Amino acid sequence: MARMKFLCDADRCIECNACVTACKNANEVPWGINRRRVITINDGKPGERSISMACMHCTDPPCKAVCPVDCFYQTDDGVVLHSKDLCIGCGYCFYACPFGAPQYPRTSNFGSRGKMDKCTYCSGGPEADLSTAEFIKYGANRLAQGKLPLCAEMCSTKALLAGDGEIIVQIYKERVVKRGYGSGAWGWKTAYNETIAT
Amino acid sequence: MQRKTNEKAPERRNFLRAAGTVSTLAVAALASPLMARKAEAYDPGQEETKARYRVTVDVKAFYRTNRY
Repeated sequence: MARMKFLCDADRCIECNACVTACKNANEVPWGINRRRVITINDGKPGERSISMACMHCTDPPCKAVCPVDCFYQTDDGVVLHSKDLCIGCGYCFYACPFGAPQYPRTSNFGSRGKMDKCTYCSGGPEADLSTAEFIKYGANRLAQGKLPLCAEMCSTKALLAGDGEIIVQIYKERVVKRGYGSGAWGWKTAYNETIAT
Repeated sequence: MQRKTNEKAPERRNFLRAAGTVSTLAVAALASPLMARKAEAYDPGQEETKARYRVTVDVKAFYRTNRY
């Protein structure tokens, strides 16, 4: 069975933030929340790299392990989703996540947190597929439509890869053979307990 | 000097004692099912966890263009 993964080819990312914009627009993400962000490492120095980062949908998700109300679940595709009906906005998942993926809407002027929001791999949530309730709570369900996450499909330099883990690894390996290893598949060891051997 | 006795005092005390006992029992009765219930993880069911990924024309085009 296909295992959904993200792979950001940092040697191709030009920090255009199109993935961030596409995600916000497709999922109608509220103000103050970015499900995907572009981070720059060694900014202004030789060897500077930019990486597009969101929930990596880990194999053994730490957010799921620490959730006191057990609102997380994994689909057969390996996508990590959660139920906003159960979430109490405690913030434990934010502290556990190595990628800083969970986000919380500000619900008042006194710093209280709302229900957690994170990347759903454009595959909605526990509500019925492609329903209005699902879209309002979790955003688009492109996977059910036979598409891949919009952030990856929108990437102009093809830096952000999404889809079946085995296929995107193959694509990355082909690039490595042509141009050399570069900066590698960032976050793969943490998220999937594996690195890409070339 | 004879001490004044309040005839109603024992009645009131009995009433308060009984009310206290009843409320304690009521709280215990309400709380026992909650305490006895086993903690369960959220089980979304097979429909929610089913695989949604399909190798469609759109997905194939994505893989093809990423090889350039």
